[in-house]
Amino acid sequence: MDRLHTMGTQTDWVVMIVYLVAILLFGSYFSKYNHNTTDFFFGGRRFSWWLIAMSILATGVSSHSFVKYSAKAWEYGFSSSMSYMNDWFFIPFFMFGWLPIVVYSKIRSIPEYFEKRFSPSARFFVTILQLLYLVGYIGIGFLTMGKAILPLMPPSINLFGIEINITLMGLIIVIAFVTGAYTTFGGQIAVLFTDLVQGFMLLLAGLMVFIIGIDYVGGWHAFWNLLPTDWKLPLAHFNKPSDFNFVGIFWQDGIAGSVGFLFMNMGLIMRFMSAKSVNEGRKAAAFNILFMLPISAIVVSGGGWVGKAMSMLSNSPIPANTEPDFIFVVVANIIMGPGIFGFVIASLAAALMSTVNTLLNACSAVYVNDVYGPIKVWLKKKQKNDKVDEKRALLVARIATVAFTVLGVLAVIPFSSYPTVYEAHGYFHSTLTPPLVIAIFLGVFWKKFTPAGVIATVIGGVSLMILGAYYPGILISPFDYGTPMDPVHPYTYIGALYNTLVCLGVGVIVTLLQNQFISIANRIKKGSSHNLIIVTMIVLSSIIFSMVVFNIGGVQFLFIASLFMTLMISLISTYYIKYDPVIKTEGLTAGSIHRAKELFKGSKLNEREGEIVKVNWKLREDDEDLINLSNHDMKKMYAEEGDLVYVSDARKYLGGLKSFHSRFGKPHNEEGIIYISREHLRNGLLIKDRPLTAEKEM
Amino acid sequence: MPSFFNTWLPFIYLYGVGGFCFFAGMILIRKLKGIDMRQKKHRFWWKVMFFGYFYFMLIHALLIIAALYW
Repeated sequence: MDRLHTMGTQTDWVVMIVYLVAILLFGSYFSKYNHNTTDFFFGGRRFSWWLIAMSILATGVSSHSFVKYSAKAWEYGFSSSMSYMNDWFFIPFFMFGWLPIVVYSKIRSIPEYFEKRFSPSARFFVTILQLLYLVGYIGIGFLTMGKAILPLMPPSINLFGIEINITLMGLIIVIAFVTGAYTTFGGQIAVLFTDLVQGFMLLLAGLMVFIIGIDYVGGWHAFWNLLPTDWKLPLAHFNKPSDFNFVGIFWQDGIAGSVGFLFMNMGLIMRFMSAKSVNEGRKAAAFNILFMLPISAIVVSGGGWVGKAMSMLSNSPIPANTEPDFIFVVVANIIMGPGIFGFVIASLAAALMSTVNTLLNACSAVYVNDVYGPIKVWLKKKQKNDKVDEKRALLVARIATVAFTVLGVLAVIPFSSYPTVYEAHGYFHSTLTPPLVIAIFLGVFWKKFTPAGVIATVIGGVSLMILGAYYPGILISPFDYGTPMDPVHPYTYIGALYNTLVCLGVGVIVTLLQNQFISIANRIKKGSSHNLIIVTMIVLSSIIFSMVVFNIGGVQFLFIASLFMTLMISLISTYYIKYDPVIKTEGLTAGSIHRAKELFKGSKLNEREGEIVKVNWKLREDDEDLINLSNHDMKKMYAEEGDLVYVSDARKYLGGLKSFHSRFGKPHNEEGIIYISREHLRNGLLIKDRPLTAEKEM
Repeated sequence: MPSFFNTWLPFIYLYGVGGFCFFAGMILIRKLKGIDMRQKKHRFWWKVMFFGYFYFMLIHALLIIAALYW
């Protein structure tokens, strides 16, 4: 199909450029709030739930973007919304399992959790998978952005007499440059605040397209009656066709995607880490899934639904050569006036930028925490003082952002072979999420899960997954629920079920056989040729993994070899890793959250729920991390010396931008007064004479 | 009229298999004491989580009925 070009008017371009520049300036303003890497990556753990919720919305809506959902909405109808309505099933695991552990264990990245819970080697393997996941996600984001903007561009431009053809890849490189620059200098606080604006703009733009579109086709009744019944159903056909079926999408999106998004999307986790407390994180998650996602389903699919109704009109204005990925832009161009079309496209592009920004930020966080940090420790490089170290880490974070932008652009290449962004994203989710999802899930909810289990899940699971990709007709078809296999892109969605099962199977079996592995490892240790045995197993495992990657040998041989390799890897891990299950699970599993809170606080918990008090502040001439409230105020708060406290500017609309965390010090007798240190004043960005609120945390 | 494969089977599968995951999660967090029912906030979230499951089930059921009979 020919690609569409040169949509929109000059007014649209002016509106777009003004909007994007305004967003850039708005984000840059907030970059001044980045004092250290905690601010840069996590926004200082201070924000209210509504700010986090809007930020998640901007990330979620744009990553599950207008482009891909409108495409499926146009092809298959209301069932395009099902991906937005199947995220609730894992909310108990998230709200009362993973979220408190992430916050209370004070980890700065998901791989760091694996080091605390298992071992440094587990962290190493998880870091590789995590970075692959994030870079892939960035690639999807760039591809989507390119596809959204390409229809607006002319086929070529003349620059200083040189004719330059505008291609998808060329456009993506330009977009990547702008996005990378913005994230590099903005950091997480900039991302959070631009997301707030963009969240609103996105909702507005999507709803405008849907409502104006319905009006265009003659009102709600005309719109409803134009659509065939099949097309109005909210869930797709159970197992047909191969490019859009319910059961495949349930496993790819409802299971792997939802768990992946909630549990291992570092960008999203960082949003929750920016919340002032775990409870605020829960509020943000619940509000987002219950209310914002159903609205978002309409917002992102509306263009496609309206496009379909328009295509049923006798004089359909939709060009016959329209590719599904371009339908949103085509519909918006037809129904919107000059300038408004520019606004819609600008909000779309800005929101996509927001998703990519978040992911770039997450990538550099993982790099600084899980690659740069451990390497520095390993090299035992001595730093003169902490401040210099922070500055250096911030610089490394910025350089890493640039590097991951480049990798993200390269990741576009494999995804661009899929007919739509939806399928590319589907394949990406079903392939990259299962090993990490299973590793996190078993790590958090199964105390017995061991380092050998997690390493075997990652290496052995991936090996069996690669085999599934090479031999889908043999390995994945027993789980396909009758979905047809597309020979070019086999089992794009239902592959997630096979991948999840093999990773889960490997993790569970290896953990259940742990005592046998320990016994064999001990026997090897006692033998005189223990080094030779272990080195042989490492070499054999590497050879088998390489054979699987390059598909050398038949499926039967490689499958059995993969299982053999998994056993060897489990044995090697058990041999090398010193693991104390009591220490390594303390505060790091869902069964020990109370202990996690105690470790976070550093003393016994005080969970009596008291009042939030409003106070005026006075400065103490020291930098001690304690605040002092009156006896009376502390009584109202049920607070005791040493308890944790959150102090914030009383203006709620700031969402916690001007706030800090501290501990209660000795009480005084000046009711309504809080004594704070100079450091609190600096970190909290407080303003003279502005009242504060103080809230006991625990 | 669309077939059962297009209407109620996906619905049953979604809330059956999804429901299995959901209720397993609810039981697990209770058993592992991730949720502490002595706390007022936790009791609130317990109710919200149940509400969410039936809320989405109701929305999907109504949308299917609307598509078929409206």
